[in-house]
Amino acid sequence: MQTLRSLPILARGCLAMLAALALICWLGPLFSAYSPHSPDWNSLSVTPGSNGHWFGTDAIGRDIFARTLAGGRLSLTIGLLASVVALVIGLGYGAVAGLAGGRVERAMLRVLDVFSALPFLLVVILLLTLFERSLGLLLAAIGGYVWIDLARVMRAESARLREAPFVLAAHAAGATFPQRLRWHVLPNLMPLAFVYLGLILPQAILVESFLGFLGLSVDEPSASWGTLLAEGVQELDSAPWTLLFPALLLVVTLAAFQFLGDGLRDWMDLRGEAGRGEGGRGEAGRGERAESAAA
Amino acid sequence: MKPAAHVELADLRVSTGGRNGRELLRGLSLELQGGECVGLVGESGSGKSLTSLALLDLLPSGLKASSRLRVEGQEIVLGSPAHAALRGRMFGLVPQDPLAALHPLRRIGAQLVETLRFARGLSRQAADKEAEELLRRVQMPDPRQALAKYPHLFSGGQRQRIAIALALATQPRVLIADEPTSALDARIARDILDLLDDLRREQNLALLLISHDLPLVGAYAQRLLVLRGGEVLERGDTAAVFAAPGHAYTRELLAADQLRELPAAGDDAPVLLRAENLRMRYRGAARDALDGVDVELRRGEGLALVGESGSGKSTLGRVLLKLLRGAQGRILLDGVALDSLSARELRKLRRRIGVVFQDPYASLDPRLDIACIVSEPLRIHGIGDAASRRAKASELLQAVGMDDSSLDRYPHQFSGGQRQRIAIARALATSPDLLVCDEAVSALDAHHRAAILALLAGLKRERGLALLFVTHDLAAASAVAERIAVLEQGRIVESGATAQVLSNPQHPHTQALVRARPAA
Repeated sequence: MQTLRSLPILARGCLAMLAALALICWLGPLFSAYSPHSPDWNSLSVTPGSNGHWFGTDAIGRDIFARTLAGGRLSLTIGLLASVVALVIGLGYGAVAGLAGGRVERAMLRVLDVFSALPFLLVVILLLTLFERSLGLLLAAIGGYVWIDLARVMRAESARLREAPFVLAAHAAGATFPQRLRWHVLPNLMPLAFVYLGLILPQAILVESFLGFLGLSVDEPSASWGTLLAEGVQELDSAPWTLLFPALLLVVTLAAFQFLGDGLRDWMDLRGEAGRGEGGRGEAGRGERAESAAA
Repeated sequence: MKPAAHVELADLRVSTGGRNGRELLRGLSLELQGGECVGLVGESGSGKSLTSLALLDLLPSGLKASSRLRVEGQEIVLGSPAHAALRGRMFGLVPQDPLAALHPLRRIGAQLVETLRFARGLSRQAADKEAEELLRRVQMPDPRQALAKYPHLFSGGQRQRIAIALALATQPRVLIADEPTSALDARIARDILDLLDDLRREQNLALLLISHDLPLVGAYAQRLLVLRGGEVLERGDTAAVFAAPGHAYTRELLAADQLRELPAAGDDAPVLLRAENLRMRYRGAARDALDGVDVELRRGEGLALVGESGSGKSTLGRVLLKLLRGAQGRILLDGVALDSLSARELRKLRRRIGVVFQDPYASLDPRLDIACIVSEPLRIHGIGDAASRRAKASELLQAVGMDDSSLDRYPHQFSGGQRQRIAIARALATSPDLLVCDEAVSALDAHHRAAILALLAGLKRERGLALLFVTHDLAAASAVAERIAVLEQGRIVESGATAQVLSNPQHPHTQALVRARPAA
């Protein structure tokens, strides 16, 4: 936790804001006088601020504030779960490919190429229309979309670790493939994976919103930011605030994640450098240079 | 001839800024005369590079320097515009890593011409001609053609020649060479230093030669400064320092390069490792990295594999460890052919071979504590329980000269020498019969190197370990190995008793290696 203090100020601000947003989305409905689903027949399509509807209501009188928070809760949850799914698959696949090396690695990379060549959103849309929609399928679909780049990054780092003397030493001492993977490669990939979680989360949220916009995410009466956007677009002429608030929150969230991701990446690099200076990893030559510059 | 330069640097102090700033250099004084070579010797962190950076006004921001600097009788304020203006005009820098000093995407002709036109205001044609002349002066073969090539097409030695030409382009009167040869093989290093020496004499240059290698510097410098931890331990005429070193540290540095002689091992010990006709070619390589190599190693015997970089010595070490795919040939350990073993049997057999790698910084998993690292081979083979493994780890650490307090600490808390001890402790965990050391001491400073070599020689004697010692350093080889094999281009060109081969080398390549040693 202490090391978080070295995070750039912008990234720290974004982190705090996202945490606050998540908290409000989860706890907000408790404070709202209106339910996100039941209509208020006395105020159909009222402007923000009237009758205690802070964000106004939609055409059938549902409170936009309550719906935006409920939508945020769903979007963030699905985004987070899908990212974790992607992280587990990408980390595992990349680590195995990189450590295996040789033909196995090349074959696994070709598989990744095939996956990236698929028009993935099209496939996802096809899957979601053909099969009965469920949360599990949705998570798999979004996770399946964002894991590929992650797997590439993890593969590259894992291949570097494969040639690292401490992994070679374990190999020479007789360590099996799973032992090397579990003891050395996976633990050393974790910091990188953690940083990439911050980068793929907004991607997952965006994909979810996109699917929601197309009506392929959760069903009525539940709402995610994506489905709210779709509803808002239909009422754009009569009640623009139904589009405005969910869109605003989505944009703010994505932007915050972007800044946080950038900050985390820089922070990792810096820590990597510092680690090298202390002799964390990297070649002796670099260590010496850092020493002579710092010392 | 230009008038002789005269630079006087007195009481140079460098410290980190801030409240608890540390002093990194404590009062270094230095005088440079035209036509003279002064050597600045010390290990990494001793402040030798800081000295050159301070002279060039290139200290990293955040460091504070104070000194009296007189150049040609003129007082210069450190860090003033007048000081910065001396760069190039007065001081030229020969870098450690010429590859990093040359722009990879521009032809070297363009780089030279650019410098010439900027620094000396020459016309395009004149600069072209001068660039060619500069390359001729650094004895570059075929200078005209070389101008049109990119840096990656040159060998390390040629690149360093280009970097020297670049340094000379601004007509400096003092050349500062910061570890100019540490990235080069010994033989090529000698050529580069000979060139610098010729240039010094021809052009009446003052040469500040900075290195960690005292014997090497001693062969060229007229005067010497020995630095350690920011302090000057010894200064004086080279001959006087070599004849009667005043400080224990200087004696240690001098001794590090001495050849030693181990008593020859008896030929009656049983053969532990035998390898026949090893061949290895990397994917896409033009020639074999190993081209039919035979190795024989008896129990308790030390065998050094020496050669320059690219000779295949590290490949041979890794092939013998069965760490590389695609190698051909037979390897027998105690008469058992490794190829006939199943993957499972091979893993079991790996207990009998320990390995120590070159880079002490990358050899230990940064995320594990020392107890875990040292006992890893035991964990791999499921030997003992957690408590007994910890006890064994502590025993091993004592055997390599470290104590129990290290058990719960992490690799980054140790120095390079200590880490190498930890790596040796790990290699010994399963009580192997054979220890393979791949350049195990070449990344270490002189006094750590001597200590680790002594440790290895001791372990070998006490435990009857056979030692396969891959190195480019003949002195290190002579400290631990009774026998030596010299590799060139994937072949063993000469082998025999270490003392005999080194004192009376037969093959021209071995002769060249022995001659390249500064003490020779």
